[in-house]
Amino acid sequence: MNMLKNKRLDPDEFNVERAQVLASWPTGADVNFDEGVAFHKSLPAEKRFTSVLGEAHKADRTLIQPRAGVALLNEHIDLLQALSAEADLLPTTIDAYTRQNQYEEAQKGIQRSLEAGRSLLNGFPAVNHGLRSCRILAETIEKPIQVRHGTPDARLLTEITLAAGFTSYEGGGISYNIPYAKKVSLEATLRHWQYADRLVGLYEEQGVRINREPFGPLTGSLVPPFISHAIAIIEGLLALEQGVKCLTLGYGQLGNLIQDVAAIASLRELADEAFQAAGYEGYQLTTVLHQWMGGFPEDESKAFSVIALGSAVAVLSKATKVIVKTPHEASGIPTKDANLRGLRATRQMVSLLQDQTMLDIKRVIAEKELIKSEVKHLLAKVLELGDGDVAVGTVRAFQAGVLDVPFAPSVHNAGKLMPVRDNEGAVRILDKGKVPMPIDAWEKHQSLVKQRADFEKREANYQMLIDDIYSVSKGRLVGRPR
Amino acid sequence: MRPVKIILGVIGADCHAVGNQILEKVFTMNGIEVINLGVMVSQDEFIDAAIETKADAICVSSLYGQGELDCEGLRGRSIERGLDNIILYVGGNLVIGKKAFSETEARFKQMGFDRVFAPDADLNQVSQLLKEDAAARG
Repeated sequence: MNMLKNKRLDPDEFNVERAQVLASWPTGADVNFDEGVAFHKSLPAEKRFTSVLGEAHKADRTLIQPRAGVALLNEHIDLLQALSAEADLLPTTIDAYTRQNQYEEAQKGIQRSLEAGRSLLNGFPAVNHGLRSCRILAETIEKPIQVRHGTPDARLLTEITLAAGFTSYEGGGISYNIPYAKKVSLEATLRHWQYADRLVGLYEEQGVRINREPFGPLTGSLVPPFISHAIAIIEGLLALEQGVKCLTLGYGQLGNLIQDVAAIASLRELADEAFQAAGYEGYQLTTVLHQWMGGFPEDESKAFSVIALGSAVAVLSKATKVIVKTPHEASGIPTKDANLRGLRATRQMVSLLQDQTMLDIKRVIAEKELIKSEVKHLLAKVLELGDGDVAVGTVRAFQAGVLDVPFAPSVHNAGKLMPVRDNEGAVRILDKGKVPMPIDAWEKHQSLVKQRADFEKREANYQMLIDDIYSVSKGRLVGRPR
Repeated sequence: MRPVKIILGVIGADCHAVGNQILEKVFTMNGIEVINLGVMVSQDEFIDAAIETKADAICVSSLYGQGELDCEGLRGRSIERGLDNIILYVGGNLVIGKKAFSETEARFKQMGFDRVFAPDADLNQVSQLLKEDAAARG
């Protein structure tokens, strides 16, 4: 493997690697790129992610999408067909063994699920099921389907699911490593995701546009917007370089309405600026808001409020789509019925607010400008570390703690940056570790955190952060002292 | 008396790291010696660490729903490898789907876990139970 660079992969090198990838599990042998291209071309617009996103973007509408995946094909078809009644876009969430390339374990999970008569896996093991089963899904389901997972090395999964006819693909070399792996090197995952992006580029060059979505919320645990935005934009740049043309950048709801709306607004503007500055054009850019990714209240009525708040953020910020939680979130994987109820609650809120916006509100604009200044500052530092190469800069930035994601499991993440909520619940920086921030922005964070500490008559420290981690599940946004 | 020593980790292919970091912090604050293996820990890694450090207990977390597949056989394997008397705790979102906690508790106790905890367990209370159980085993 050549040294990592943000440069389109060499075709010969790609083909050699491809043969190895497809031989890494028996179902890889069924992948036929040309046949996959032909199948994609036969799909009507309403089953293609890029078309549906494009229409919504034009009409300023917010689409809704659940998460869902079970072990067995027929059960999974039933689940998606049921969800299709309420959702605009559909997922196929992949199980955790497949995400770690543990296909033997996934096979046992399929077997044990068959015996138990219920899914014992937390998603659909698409590699084990293989191309034909995935194709049946793509043929049967009447709405666009996205692969959603958390796979550091997703090359084989990408080959199989794209050839089968899925039209959108989540993930990225940072966002599917730092929050999803323990010891996998960033060089390796950035390279593996160049492969996935290049494959999407190859489909694009054959006239088949596939949507790519970096995973915005990362650890989903009080990640400050400027951190997740910087990473989303880096993954966007890496994808564009490999020939991806349709990108959806994401952000996870944090809870303060002003900050959340400003976050989506700033993400859109920052991405366009960064992509154009890097010389890319002719791409299609949309945004996604993930409803609250942290701990949920156990009580289902309370959970619906969290869901509704996220839906409001999505629509008031004109996000192109919203990823929907369910009233079962506190206990893990939802039933079909709970998933449907989350979608209905979301739909209602999206419809109620669809003709309103908060984008022109003064405080939103001020917050947006703050985030933009922080992201630009951070991205400039990453590029500087990479001597102008964003892939190299990313690796060095994580090594130096310049990019730092709170609560990540990866040993390649410094874990020094500490977030905390301010007195209105917006996520601020308590300890910036080695992450560079503009001086005025850093002073603002410090003063807002101090305001809360004074109000609560206690010190801002790790205990305050623990209180903030559990606050939403306990019924409030700011983790006030007990 | 020496402090209670535990092996802590998230089992299987599960990468939920937040609770793991908080568990380590709270157990430590309660005077428990924590050897934290982090996320994605196999049964054998738990057992290796317990043998190596002469730990009193293995505390397993699972948040992603596949805990039922990952935890099966941990008791048998521990005994096989000479840990006849080790305390086994498990906690988190242990099964797929919303089920009554009593049902989940029974399922995991049957697998050989001494105590089973829901995601909202009071960690100071869990620390207290660890000390009591360790004292009882001598």
